[in-house]
Amino acid sequence: MNHERGARMFAYALLAPAVLYVAAIVAWPLVQEVQLSFTNAGLAKTYSYVGFDNYTKIFRSGFGEIIWRTFTWTFFSVSFKMIIGTCGALMLNVALPGRAIFRTLTLLPWIVPMAIGIFMWGWMYNGQFGMISGLLQNFGITSGPVAFLAHGDTGYWATVMTDVWIGTPMVTFYFLAAIQSIPRDLYEAAWVDGAGRAYRFRRITLPMMVPAILTMSIISLISTFNSFDIIWILTHGGPNGETTTMVIDTYKVAIGSYKYGEGAARSVMVGLCLGVFCLFYFRLVNRLSSAEQL
Amino acid sequence: MTKASKIAFGLAAALLSTTSLALAEDTTITFIQCGDSVDPTYPPFISEWESKNPGFKVNIEPVGWDQCQDKVTTLAAAGNPPDLAYVGSRTLKQFASNDLIVPVPMSDADKAGYYPNIPDTVTFQGNQWGIPVAFSTKALYWNKDLFKAAGLDPEKPPLTWEEELADAKAIKEKTNIAGFGIVAKTFDNTMHQFMHWVYTNNGKVIDADGKIVLDSPENLEALTALKAMVPYAEEGPTAYEQNEVRAIFLDGKIGMIHASVGAVNKLKDAKFAWGVTNLPLGPHAKGPGTLLITDSLAIFKGTGHEEKATDLAKFLTNPDNQFKYEVSNGLTPLRPVPGVKDLVAKDPSWKPFLEGISFGGPEPLFLDYKGFQDVMINMVQSVVTGAAEPADALKKAAADLEQYK
Repeated sequence: MNHERGARMFAYALLAPAVLYVAAIVAWPLVQEVQLSFTNAGLAKTYSYVGFDNYTKIFRSGFGEIIWRTFTWTFFSVSFKMIIGTCGALMLNVALPGRAIFRTLTLLPWIVPMAIGIFMWGWMYNGQFGMISGLLQNFGITSGPVAFLAHGDTGYWATVMTDVWIGTPMVTFYFLAAIQSIPRDLYEAAWVDGAGRAYRFRRITLPMMVPAILTMSIISLISTFNSFDIIWILTHGGPNGETTTMVIDTYKVAIGSYKYGEGAARSVMVGLCLGVFCLFYFRLVNRLSSAEQL
Repeated sequence: MTKASKIAFGLAAALLSTTSLALAEDTTITFIQCGDSVDPTYPPFISEWESKNPGFKVNIEPVGWDQCQDKVTTLAAAGNPPDLAYVGSRTLKQFASNDLIVPVPMSDADKAGYYPNIPDTVTFQGNQWGIPVAFSTKALYWNKDLFKAAGLDPEKPPLTWEEELADAKAIKEKTNIAGFGIVAKTFDNTMHQFMHWVYTNNGKVIDADGKIVLDSPENLEALTALKAMVPYAEEGPTAYEQNEVRAIFLDGKIGMIHASVGAVNKLKDAKFAWGVTNLPLGPHAKGPGTLLITDSLAIFKGTGHEEKATDLAKFLTNPDNQFKYEVSNGLTPLRPVPGVKDLVAKDPSWKPFLEGISFGGPEPLFLDYKGFQDVMINMVQSVVTGAAEPADALKKAAADLEQYK
């Protein structure tokens, strides 16, 4: 009995530094943030508690529309990254001459510093000097310049595509690693049984990639949901707020307008939304795992 | 006294003297200056001030323009402000109302030394809260070659909004090149550019009593005139801030723009003939107008060096030093000092930038400057993109501004 207790205490002792570390850098700031969200903290040296005022203000300021935009923006971006990443991984897995060069080229968007990549896209979207507008005019598709970031719809898709460009290499290489870890004998057995390429992909590759797809989709989802640099550099959330996501809105209020209390309330909402999203996601994963075991 | 004790005494005396010297040198005035490096005109001024103020040393910290304002504000909010900082005058009301800066009252003689309306850019509740240090006005640049190609008289720039619209229309229709450059990106100068329309039609955003007067006939005319320009402007104005519009103008792809004196230097190598004149006037204008944008030196509260920091700020911005700084940086002069006449005689393109001052107006001061800016940008963008009619957009913006005044 004493031995068991001692072992448990030893385990707690081993865990303690990590728990303290997490408490200090995650839990405590989180508690502070929640506390701040109930205050009118701003530039003034003092502040007071305002109850749920900051939260009611959020929903009076069209936040519902921003939440919806954030979810759709995240959905499209993550979906494209998953689809392109899967296709890319399959292609990079094919034994072709010069495969190493293709693999290196695929990494380029990830190698280029993110801000530089975004500015480069900003110039490509420029109506007067941009490459895309120039090509469209040269091929006679448009009669004049098109400023992609000037309009709500094109601006929205331009930011999605830039996020996809930056995020896809990581997905591709993660999926490539997953594909390469699939035992060769499964394919050989299927080939002997006369299974075609599509069948092998559907019945071997895809099912074996599911854990990788699930893991990568949640990582990608969280980072895309919190994506700031791309939208901020390209559009500042405009025009007419049509590319403003929850993170951009939080930044504008908390840092732009120095309303730390209101900003904290918004960031709590970001955390809650992500939390709910992740909860559904893990329930889905559990359901899939249970189904697989059956 | 033994030799050893003599040495010990000597060492102690030397140590004491260096300590007291170090203590005296320790009084440092921290000065945050916006820019990538210390302005070259400042070091001699600083040396002169330090020699007149023994025991004080000035530490200038240059901070890039993009982060400068936020850094100063964050330091002040965190209770660790610099003694002195370069800030946009538009932020002074916010700083003052949060008790972060000290007033820097101007005497009547001080005020009279500036061009008219300049002291208003730093005045809130009858007090001055900063010392103007940089000043910018705008004028109309036009591309004479495009005027000629459109069948217009290249030597006759538009004097009124009506003429400006007609010229823009002619350029667009005859050359298929944008007649006018509209600035409407989600960026602060979208608000600035709209304020030029306001101040060339005797309009206002907020009156001396703090009442929002944005929804006025003068401003409705301004917003309507801007909307009328859209078909003859560059495609997608909401994608461009003023420097980007200026770049398109420099490329010969826009007929007219409203821009600061900085464009004169950039146009020196232009491949087309150009001119610069007063901003065209609206129907209610009483004379040439423009938005008067100033940046200021603000003195932060609670540093213990407020008095010395004020003295330093006044020294740096005295008429002689300030004019040298303006000439070095190509800024519009804040005061009609004797050197201004020579400046205009040497380069007459300065004239419209100075003439607009008389009927110009300040950046409106708000408790939440960014909130004000966002409301104005949304108003302009909604009209430019056709999402709202000018009257509705103006009414909505006026109502939204109430929370920020």
